Amino acid sequence: MPRSSSLPRRPLRLVAGAALAVSIAALVGLVLASILRASTGAAASSVDVWHLVVMTVTQAALSTVLSLLVGMALAWSLNRLRFFGRDLIVGLFASAIVTPGLIVAFGLLAVWGRAGWVNQTSLALTGQPLELPVFGLGGILAAHVILDASFAARILLARLDAIPEARLKMGQSLGLSAIQRFAVIDWPMLGPTLPGLGAIIFLLAFTSFPIVLLLGGGPANQTLEVAIYAAVRLDFDLAGAVQLALVQIAICSAIILATAAFAPVSAATGRSRPPRWRDTGLVHAAQWTILAVGIFGFALPLLAILIDGIGPGIIDLAQRPSFWRAVATSLALGAGSAALTLLLALTIGMARAATASRTARTAIGAPAYAYLAVPAVVLSLGAFLLVRDMGLFPEIAAPVVVLVANALLALPFALATLAPPLEAVATSRGRLIRSLGLSGWSQFRAVEWPLISRDAGVVVALSFCFSLGDLGVIALFGTEDFTTLPLAMYRALGAYRSNDAATIAALMLLITIAAFTLLPRLFGRSTDAAS
Amino acid sequence: MLQADRLAFTYPGTTRHYEFSFTALTGEITAVSGQSGAGKSTLLDLIAGFLVPQSGSLTLDGTSLIPLPPEQRPVSILFQSETLFEHLSAGGNLALGLPSGTPRETADQRIAAALAEVGLPGIEKQRAATLSGGEKQRVALARTLLRNRPVLLLDEPFSALDDSTRATMRDLVRGLTERHRWITMLVSHHMDDIDALATGRYRLEDGQLHQG
Repeated sequence: MPRSSSLPRRPLRLVAGAALAVSIAALVGLVLASILRASTGAAASSVDVWHLVVMTVTQAALSTVLSLLVGMALAWSLNRLRFFGRDLIVGLFASAIVTPGLIVAFGLLAVWGRAGWVNQTSLALTGQPLELPVFGLGGILAAHVILDASFAARILLARLDAIPEARLKMGQSLGLSAIQRFAVIDWPMLGPTLPGLGAIIFLLAFTSFPIVLLLGGGPANQTLEVAIYAAVRLDFDLAGAVQLALVQIAICSAIILATAAFAPVSAATGRSRPPRWRDTGLVHAAQWTILAVGIFGFALPLLAILIDGIGPGIIDLAQRPSFWRAVATSLALGAGSAALTLLLALTIGMARAATASRTARTAIGAPAYAYLAVPAVVLSLGAFLLVRDMGLFPEIAAPVVVLVANALLALPFALATLAPPLEAVATSRGRLIRSLGLSGWSQFRAVEWPLISRDAGVVVALSFCFSLGDLGVIALFGTEDFTTLPLAMYRALGAYRSNDAATIAALMLLITIAAFTLLPRLFGRSTDAAS
Repeated sequence: MLQADRLAFTYPGTTRHYEFSFTALTGEITAVSGQSGAGKSTLLDLIAGFLVPQSGSLTLDGTSLIPLPPEQRPVSILFQSETLFEHLSAGGNLALGLPSGTPRETADQRIAAALAEVGLPGIEKQRAATLSGGEKQRVALARTLLRNRPVLLLDEPFSALDDSTRATMRDLVRGLTERHRWITMLVSHHMDDIDALATGRYRLEDGQLHQG
């Protein structure tokens, strides 16, 4: 039976989804047109594009390889070990996707920097400082690996958890060694995921902004994204910024097209169930060592932020109205952008699920994914130019632009989370819904929402945290009066007010943890209570 | 002789309690039937060592199997699916049944002989994913031959096969059990398989085995 015959007819959903798709595509078009228009009339720029491309590709490639290796080792260890608090550690690695890059970069400095814990300990013990290369390529790679290897570990752990129990029993019964088990059972599950996961990590590292901004250590290690920001904000070289933005968009588009050829990578934020088959002896010891180093590497910078940030400095900061304005702005932008992302993702996801036409599904979904090719700083630059072309003052348009830009940047992740369960509902329950003659609203309230509410919570948490940690969009639109927590933190660092920066970082981290932990549960619970 | 006496297991946090007593003889096929969820897989998991019983005994010719981990138990298992690693060749799958360090030449000879015994000579290099359901089961049986373990556990092994392949597989299992003096335990809810193969029978009801 063809799939279309089992789907309930929902013309309103299709119209709403199509209208949104057209609007989003138009917005992308306008942003790109503004950038192109600015490039045609601009004077020649002295920006060394080739050097920037080489540097950006080099750091992204190294970050990808290292993150995949470390992520695979961590996933392997976590898959084999069972211990009290394992769920907490798995949750810690899952939270990497929402941990702001600025926080990790700052945490890295708090542990390994000149005034960091390690150096202070070395000075106290030996009287000699440790010359650690925390600025430059080494620091950038370390921060990227901390974030991206944790993200990779959670995704790969989900693949290992998905190994059929019968296959594990067969392997265990055959007495496979640890190496044989990895080669024969684990690798076939991990291997197909690696190219797609690698492409995502490459894209994340390629478009990384706050980490390179904070740890780059100068022009030698600048990447395209930071160079665009510097060209607009510091050098007032609009022609250079536009040139770089076009290169950035072209390369990101190529990566996304390449990614589409690989197996899809599904997000993993739920619980992990380890198999009963555990390794012993040296292999077991190696797994504990890898896990300990992983936790140390990921959690220590975050711990340092909390310990350094929560102190007497809070009282001083709390007395400043500008701090509270930044808190209120960040929370309002985060909440607004999360609500908008959920609305957009639900509308597009439900429209896609309402049609069996492959062309229609692609046409409705594709514009949302276009934002993967337009990194935050480039989107911000395009919006900046667009607002200027419309004769508006950027500071007036700033709140709306930042909110919409953050929602659009989170949209690909939101759609990747919500679209599969919505389509599964349409496929598996479509005939029942049709036979009962449920209205569109009843279908949503009684069937779809209860089944996707936890995923919706994940989307809200992701979008809120992305917006909370954003520095790329706000960097071009922020003013003295319109400041978010990341921008306030960056300014505090620039003004050598490191205590203020530490306090803001700690607050951002606490809000991120609370949002990522509580929102999915809150959404899931509200459904439980309603059902 | 494989013998269980009040071999008991309760899943943690549940009231699902099982207590198994049975005797399975050498060179014979002992069948266990039961509805879905009756505890057939639990029984096999206890024999294979994937579950550790809370009490009772399980012995092979008088020696307790309970202290042994799954990889050291004198047991081979054949599931309904997941019998082979599909990305490996048939020969690669069989090689996993040989002791590590077996010289290449010896391994090749033994693999070829095992495949011939199950009626699939010369398919060593064929990828497991390209084999039919019946061929996969026969390759898995060939690996069982190489492992040379006295107990063979069959977990609904013929469920996914067509009638003619089922008949071939039944003949093969019966022949191998008699020839190699295996203690074969067949767990199935297909009465035709049980009628065709079983020399001893048990029914699984209310978490306990009943003879007949």
